[in-house]
Amino acid sequence: MKLAVAGKGGSGKTSFSGTVSRLLARDGRRVIAIDGDSNPNLVVTLGIAPERMQDMPTLPSDLLRRTEDGIELSKTLEEICTSHSLEGPDGVTLLVMAHPQHAGTG
Amino acid sequence: MHATVRSVIEVASERHEDFCILDTEASPEHLSRGTAQYADAMLLVVEPYFKSLETGRRMAGLAKDLGLERVALIANKMRGESDLEAVREFAEKHGLEVGGIIPYDDLMPAAERAGSSPLDFAPEGPAVTAIQQIARGLVDGSIAGNGAVKA
Repeated sequence: MKLAVAGKGGSGKTSFSGTVSRLLARDGRRVIAIDGDSNPNLVVTLGIAPERMQDMPTLPSDLLRRTEDGIELSKTLEEICTSHSLEGPDGVTLLVMAHPQHAGTG
Repeated sequence: MHATVRSVIEVASERHEDFCILDTEASPEHLSRGTAQYADAMLLVVEPYFKSLETGRRMAGLAKDLGLERVALIANKMRGESDLEAVREFAEKHGLEVGGIIPYDDLMPAAERAGSSPLDFAPEGPAVTAIQQIARGLVDGSIAGNGAVKA
């Protein structure tokens, strides 16, 4: 199931996203959590040390390619996860999309 | 970044038992860029006051414009019967599903101050307990489900 979690700033959506991700993973589900915010905080609510994001390379600009049908990824999700994800407690995979310099703040 | 996120969600596993959870940006504008277009469902975390509920309602509208039919409110930081009534009344008026209720819990801001995850900081706390219930509802299809999906 692909779930988008949204809400006003301060509503608690990131605490919710991180907690529900871990609980689902603890229950044996495969969970990929994506921080879609340009100021990423999901890492903290997942219980991953934010320093671990510092070594993460930024996503390459050629990751998307235009095709006749629109836009598609030039790599598989598995390949992207191999180079751009962190495994957190309970086995959650955090996919790191944004620059990590502000992780853990705000 | 939005186009990449959108494409990643597009190719994520379709299996009901696998989860791909996108924590979106706080602004409603991102929704009009279609970031969440390929999600199966959207959960809107709202607080029990008008501006927050109103943002939720606007986001629900944008989600439906994207073709997302399965939208549910998650009412957070709820402090009692009057909050519950306010959220239910709002949801009913606008035809929105209340998918979950999370009580106000001092342990949540405390976890944030400690730079810790709520689950490690307060695993037995009322908010985490409520989120556990929501996780079960997502798995069994009773929250933001289409009635037919069962794990």
